[in-house]
Amino acid sequence: MIGLTALVCIVLAMQQSAGYATYQKANAMFVKQDFAGALAGVEEALRLDPKLVPALTLHAKMAMASNRFDLAGKSLEAALAVDPKAQYAQFLYGMTAYMASDMQAALPRFREAHKLNPADVRATLYLGLTAESLGETTEALALYQQAVRLEKAVGAVHVETLLPGARLLLLLGRLEEAEVWLQQAVQIAPQDRDAHFEMARLMVRKGAASQAAAEGEKALALAGGMTTDEQIHYLLIRAWQGAGDMVRAQSHAAALRALETPAQKE
Amino acid sequence: MPYRLPAFGIAAFCLAYLAHSAVKPAQIRFAEVAGGAGLKFTLRNAAAGQFHQIELTGGGVAVFDYNNDGCMDVFFANGAAIPALKKTGAEFYNRLFRNNCDLTFTDVTEEAGLRGEGYSMAVASADFDNDGFADLYVTGVRGNMLYRNLGNSRFADVTARAGVDGGMWSVSAGWLDYDNDGLLDLFVSNYVVWDADKEPRCGSPEQQFYCHPREYKGLPDQLFHNNGDGTFTEVSQSSGIARHTGKGMGVAFADMDGDGLTDIFVANDSVRSFLFHNLGGGKFEEIGLESGVALRDDGYAIAGMGADFRDFDNDGKPDLVISGIINDSFQLFRNPGGGRGFEDYGQRTGLLLATRQFTGWSLGMYDFDNDGWKDLFFGLSHLAELERYLGRDSALPNRVFRNLEGKKFQDVSAGAGAAFQQAAMHRGVGFGDFDNDGRMDAVVTVLNGPAKLFRNVTEDAGHWMAIRLRGLRSNRDGLGATVHVHLANGRDLYNHATTSVGYAGASEALVRFGLGGSARVETVEIRWPGGGMQKLTNVVGDRIVDIAEQVAP
Repeated sequence: MIGLTALVCIVLAMQQSAGYATYQKANAMFVKQDFAGALAGVEEALRLDPKLVPALTLHAKMAMASNRFDLAGKSLEAALAVDPKAQYAQFLYGMTAYMASDMQAALPRFREAHKLNPADVRATLYLGLTAESLGETTEALALYQQAVRLEKAVGAVHVETLLPGARLLLLLGRLEEAEVWLQQAVQIAPQDRDAHFEMARLMVRKGAASQAAAEGEKALALAGGMTTDEQIHYLLIRAWQGAGDMVRAQSHAAALRALETPAQKE
Repeated sequence: MPYRLPAFGIAAFCLAYLAHSAVKPAQIRFAEVAGGAGLKFTLRNAAAGQFHQIELTGGGVAVFDYNNDGCMDVFFANGAAIPALKKTGAEFYNRLFRNNCDLTFTDVTEEAGLRGEGYSMAVASADFDNDGFADLYVTGVRGNMLYRNLGNSRFADVTARAGVDGGMWSVSAGWLDYDNDGLLDLFVSNYVVWDADKEPRCGSPEQQFYCHPREYKGLPDQLFHNNGDGTFTEVSQSSGIARHTGKGMGVAFADMDGDGLTDIFVANDSVRSFLFHNLGGGKFEEIGLESGVALRDDGYAIAGMGADFRDFDNDGKPDLVISGIINDSFQLFRNPGGGRGFEDYGQRTGLLLATRQFTGWSLGMYDFDNDGWKDLFFGLSHLAELERYLGRDSALPNRVFRNLEGKKFQDVSAGAGAAFQQAAMHRGVGFGDFDNDGRMDAVVTVLNGPAKLFRNVTEDAGHWMAIRLRGLRSNRDGLGATVHVHLANGRDLYNHATTSVGYAGASEALVRFGLGGSARVETVEIRWPGGGMQKLTNVVGDRIVDIAEQVAP
């Protein structure tokens, strides 16, 4: 009861902060992708109240959007100095390091974010990704599993949460386990390019070339996702070769070369 | 009636059992002896906080016998002042060290005339003019140099007459006879367009860092045909090589399909690797995509560095190993033959995961314990100035992986000796047997640090044989020749002659075999470039065997 009262007081105090209303307007503009307006707004909010944590966090988000991870980091450090338990700021602080490929710095930041809110799927997932890139595959897999459990607990597992675990299982050569994860991913998101691509990779590894080709072609026909056309064409070369269709394999090789030629000649 | 072993059967069984029990894998071990051997060289990259890309990529080393005394000598390529790209002081000179045949070395750079010019990167060695003396091709940032070995301990700069200046930033080069005319041709891997005045700036204003290669334009590789009169003709366009723009690093050669023509692999940095299939008639077709060696299995282009194109599973077909940077994992591709491309073997041999946290430069696939299976040696270090991002030192110890009968690679570095555990900014690695004891040694360059000479001191290493080829119709070094060794115990071993191994460097031209418990070889079959076959029988091992090409009258 005391805690709730304190929370209410903090919220009221924030609302009464000179800059809070300005921050709210800036945040609304940010949501509407009016970035210039949002930047002006958040800077005004911080002028009015330099310690306003939501404004510092928004400022950091905007800096990250323009790849200024150094500036974002400074805003977040300021936010965390005011409120060390600001979990979202802590998570973003991890992201600034992660996006700058500074995994060693990202690790303790994500650990802290995960500790502040163990139910935060994003913090769990990114802690896993960071651990994996630092070679801690056992910890990473446990975190991926935990992230999936967290999502299951609230009834909505996302494909983005399943794929890192599936990829790691593929890397570890644990194909049967990877297949379970990938089947779930494809079931949840039948139109997800990344899920079908990873399923195709699995099929190549299993020697099921025709299935790999079918999954790969499905992935290629789908839009979105992180997987590039080049990646899918490369997979389809091997898949169709394995399936004995050299003509289709060659057509994917030609397609890949056509895609990369302008970039390589730059 | 109970079955009874006859007395001689029991004895044979016991002997066989004891022999089997005694076959304990030898622990590959190295002692670092550079200082004591007088091999004192420091690779200088002239880094001064400006993060010039050229500072990252040098460090080539060649292991070759320049004076034909039977002992392997060492040549080091070195940097230069930036932005002048001039060797403004002795600290930037390239260096030639003569092996005094007692595992000590003497610096003979001045006598040999090999100080060099410009910012040097790599070195390729072979006898391009078939006069019996190994020559040197030194690549650099602004141009390359061909040094002809005059045979009197001196080298002459013949670049201009030969027409092999290159003119681009070349990271590696190698000698091969692509048309089997008996003359070694020259392949040059070019990296990116670079200008000190237009160096892109990366990282944050407070924390600058080396830019990703994507910030630089790639370059095509080059092929020079040896005319046999001291001149070369550039055939990059007509051969099809120049049709492909990459960011070339290590190069490796092998006849991947057994058609008698040498094929070319180029590891590219952050764009797909190239596999140039030699079609004959002076033409090449780039088939990296179709062969499955262009990219990682998820379609990601690793930062390819070093490469070796050798047979790790003793099936007679050259396979490929490629190093990359942290989180790339090093790649191992098995060649199943039959025109079926290559199979990704990194995961199933354990190499993929075991190398994921490393950044590898040069490498070599050699049988360090002479058990008949080629092992892997990687020269390692992360990119310089990466400490902040990694949270750990950029310097790394090297790694050696033991080949477990062509099925697995086991990291045996921890037992490879105290000096082997020392981290440093390792770059180039040249391989050769400096003390002629049959165990393969390695010389390793270190960025802004003393070079290392890892003497192989593996105890209980197996028997061995090294074959020194002398081509008569073929190129004198016999580069491109494939050698098949058959042992009395039924084992078949394969290797081929090449000096182009790893990254930016050259290794000895001898064709080596670990023979395990066999002190004698039943047959040695050589297929010379062009297809001439030669067979020797009942050859005694534990020595260098000189084989001259038989030419029909």
